[in-house]
Amino acid sequence: MNPSTKKTTISMTRLLPAVLVVLALLFTRAANAAAPGVTGTAFHLTAKPAFVSQPDGNAVYSWGYSCDSGGSPIPFGAAGTACGGAMQIPGPTLIVTAPASGSATFTVTLTDSLPPAAGNTSILFPGFQVATSGGVAGLLTREAQPGSSVTYTVTVPSTAAGTHSYYSGTQSDLQVEMGLYGAIIVLPSATPPACSSGIHSTNLLAQGAHSETNFRLAPAAYNHPGACYDREYIFQFSEIDPRIHRQAEEQILALGNCVAGTAGCSLSVATEPYVPAYFMVNGRSMPDDMDANYAPEYPHQPYNGNPHMHPGELVLLRIVGQGRWQHPFHEHGNHVRILARDGNLIRSATDPANNLAGPLLFTTTTTPGMAMDGIFYWTGKGLNWDAFGHNTDPNKTGHADCFPDGNGYNTGDPGAINYFEWCQDHNKPVQAAPVGNVASGGPATLPDPNIFANGPWFGGSPYLGPDATVRSVGSTGTTPPSGTIANSPTEEAGFAFMWHSHNEREITTNNIFPGGMLMMMLVDSREFKIDESN
Amino acid sequence: MAIRKLHQVYLLTLVVAFGALAARAQSFQIQCPASTITHPTAANNNAEPAYVGATYTGTTGYGTQPAHVNGAIKCQQISGGDGFATMGDGTQTYLFAFGPLSGLADIANGLPGTGFPKDFNSLPPGTLMPGDPATANGLTANTWPSYPLPTGAFGWNGAVGLAPDTDCLADPVCAATIPANGLDGHVDPRSVMDVGVMNGNMPAPLMAIDEDDEFFLTLTNVGQVMRPDLFEQHTVHFHGYPNASAFYDGVPDASVAINIGGSFTYYYLAPDAGTYFWHCHITPPEHLQMGMVGQIYVRPRQNRWSGALYSGLQAQQNDLRTKCDRASDILCSNPLPAVPAAGPDASNDGTKKYAYNDGDGSTRYDVEYPLQIHGFDPNFHFVGMTFNPEGFTDMKDKYFLLNGRSYPDTVTPGPLMTQTTDGLVHFSQPLSSIVNIPAGGKALLRIADLDVTEYQTLASLGIPMHVVGYNAKLLRDQAGNNLDYYTNSITLAGGESLDVILDASDTTKYPSGSTFYLYTPNLDHLSNDAENFGGLMTEVHIN
Repeated sequence: MNPSTKKTTISMTRLLPAVLVVLALLFTRAANAAAPGVTGTAFHLTAKPAFVSQPDGNAVYSWGYSCDSGGSPIPFGAAGTACGGAMQIPGPTLIVTAPASGSATFTVTLTDSLPPAAGNTSILFPGFQVATSGGVAGLLTREAQPGSSVTYTVTVPSTAAGTHSYYSGTQSDLQVEMGLYGAIIVLPSATPPACSSGIHSTNLLAQGAHSETNFRLAPAAYNHPGACYDREYIFQFSEIDPRIHRQAEEQILALGNCVAGTAGCSLSVATEPYVPAYFMVNGRSMPDDMDANYAPEYPHQPYNGNPHMHPGELVLLRIVGQGRWQHPFHEHGNHVRILARDGNLIRSATDPANNLAGPLLFTTTTTPGMAMDGIFYWTGKGLNWDAFGHNTDPNKTGHADCFPDGNGYNTGDPGAINYFEWCQDHNKPVQAAPVGNVASGGPATLPDPNIFANGPWFGGSPYLGPDATVRSVGSTGTTPPSGTIANSPTEEAGFAFMWHSHNEREITTNNIFPGGMLMMMLVDSREFKIDESN
Repeated sequence: MAIRKLHQVYLLTLVVAFGALAARAQSFQIQCPASTITHPTAANNNAEPAYVGATYTGTTGYGTQPAHVNGAIKCQQISGGDGFATMGDGTQTYLFAFGPLSGLADIANGLPGTGFPKDFNSLPPGTLMPGDPATANGLTANTWPSYPLPTGAFGWNGAVGLAPDTDCLADPVCAATIPANGLDGHVDPRSVMDVGVMNGNMPAPLMAIDEDDEFFLTLTNVGQVMRPDLFEQHTVHFHGYPNASAFYDGVPDASVAINIGGSFTYYYLAPDAGTYFWHCHITPPEHLQMGMVGQIYVRPRQNRWSGALYSGLQAQQNDLRTKCDRASDILCSNPLPAVPAAGPDASNDGTKKYAYNDGDGSTRYDVEYPLQIHGFDPNFHFVGMTFNPEGFTDMKDKYFLLNGRSYPDTVTPGPLMTQTTDGLVHFSQPLSSIVNIPAGGKALLRIADLDVTEYQTLASLGIPMHVVGYNAKLLRDQAGNNLDYYTNSITLAGGESLDVILDASDTTKYPSGSTFYLYTPNLDHLSNDAENFGGLMTEVHIN
């Protein structure tokens, strides 16, 4: 299930074969994610319709926000087209920074360019003080009428930080379902000193030593020593019930250009019973979610879900529940320390300045409208075998040093392949009698590879990274030539972990498995350059 | 240089190719070494040694002599295949399922099927017959006595299929490399198939290991006789395992999956203590819904410590692997308690049991019970028995299960049996859900939810629920303050686990002979398909 292969299969009927080949080449290497968005102080958003793409070939009529002006794309510079006026789902991620003292504001001017029959629209900013101007009075806030605008002035106090959601406050059961939601990231006013010392300092050196650019938005999610991070990703979870979207589309087509507010110029879409068939991360279903940010085949779904990390990096997860269902998001590979809920840091009652009190979770349940921030890492500590498959023989390749720091990790040489190796297991074999150039005498005997079926994200050996993989099983890995390879033994050979909804039926796309809320997270050795530039 | 490297690669490819050819033709096999480089003395690996100090101290590690060898070796074998279970309304439901292929007697008695090498590597007392352990127990299929089923006479917990490797013994060169009794992991596939086919259990076989153990879990894929159109692989995903390797994580997309007719041995060093669970990761919405879900828990080294728990936890700080320092590890949950505790629970004599390395005795219990929450959609299971593709969008659970059973089966002691399409009666649901608490005692409920469609709530009528752990982690903040809490209900998604202690130490409120209830306030889940009373409910008995 290489994402590009899957995509080409599905798109077969829609694309010319010649184009197919080019697309397959273009998107095989997409490996980037981070937390893209727009930054500014006066955002102009427009609610408007468009069709979003699903991997079963369906184009679903939806409503979303476009960023028309007032936002500069970050962290991708010119690569991003985030404020180019295209409707997008989720809406543009609004990235703002808390002021050093007092409070600051940013404005969101919302224009309603939905079809007239859709009526008014608005945006709620839960957790923020909001002043409104323009528009008309609505149930929860002031609303924009079709063709008109409303402006929200949102106050950001110096103490604010973290991830938040925003979404439509008008006929929400329909408008949120149709796609009118997004996220706000508030960067803290100050960086705790802890973020520029210790492993954060050496992790940054390691990124530099391996020619990687850092794409984090800030060194810390909150002004707290426990909230420092080295890399970050945002995941927004939502669903689509295609019947609701089809009904809305049909009614709008039937009503044509009716005059808003006149009798009969309104929608009557049944939003219950609710039977979603598409389950999305950042507006895309698997495997589309693992293609690049701003990939041209998803003009209205610019954000991906394709996390990568190196051993020992502290990775900030910004997890947002959109839509209307809860989703138990299961992170394979380790636990997540929950830092905060809706931008509220969870601190120890007795030592709030230094200690956190959020839970450690391997399944982070998303709740509609709720955002949480958490820290994840992977180091391989406690595996009881050397994940790098080092060779004990100093005369052979694959022999390396591991100098434990005070925590037991090899962090002295940021340029080493095995930077952040867990030294207690250094040189410790897993295989009893390996054929390749790795240490032997371990506890496990691997059976004949012919009785396996190898997955596309299998790096080809039990070991981490191309060096160890090629030494242990050769450059093709154990995957037969007929197999699909999305995690090349010679280029990446990462440890792949599935990050997915554990309400397992949600990892399907309209009754097709695999699909839905599913991503592969890759832990890559330092040999693989993680490039989040698109 | 480049050319030499290339040659090495070619050579390696050849070696790999020949290696594949030279591999023994046998694809069923088991692994349970009596000793390893981590546990080098075979005689010490058949019981849990007391924990007296760190394995490695300071920054020392492999290659140097450990200060103490902690833990032991544990092994288990399971089948991946199919079977039938009996629902609370009497319906026989088709399963994709794991079944026990070791520890049969323990599994039939509702215990973990995990064993030390000496037990796992023991030969069966007689010839195993189809449908075992029933037939081997002197029972004739279809003539079962009433509940509870007697399993007493059958005490064998070895690995099904284990047999001397006679081919190797006949060759002196080969014989020199294996134990004198010829037990090198070679299996007789006939007995594996005789016992394993149509022998699926719901829940999947229970597993339990101790911290510092090495665990060898062999999955043997016996195929699904009811679905000859399928060639389903199976895997084991050890859910929640921190710092897992992708190779042993059981995700077929990211690793290897085991074809029919093959065995694969997963190798783990026990992770931090806690309530975990495991499941097949092939097409999860299908294989989980169909029943390939089980429980595993890891017991803390504090159980093996004698003395004040606080000093026991201090001893664990000397090993960087078992240390919990919030400044260097944001993902550890059991720093030294902020307030050292006193009292009998706060020190161990090596016999007391705790859910976590708490250092203060706050998670002590007398008895532990796994409680797995699950749901079955009868339509999906019916279609799953046919050759038609199942739909996922309309999946709707109508049986709500605690340990694979609906009320009133939840309060049936002993294993449930189901007659399957091979005409034989199999142990289908080994785990009763009755929580028996000794008068004045505390029960630890290790609750896991594997439902694939919706959240489920379990409430306690009578004894308050004391939540001490969540997602296999102690509830404690980084400063060492316990964050445990009391509640009358807990809500879990599929893919979550939680530790609840039912404290019945007040014998006035909870006298001997009294009965309390665990049930779901999701009232539509108190049903067994069309029967409107049943479902997610069981009893707590004070003995």
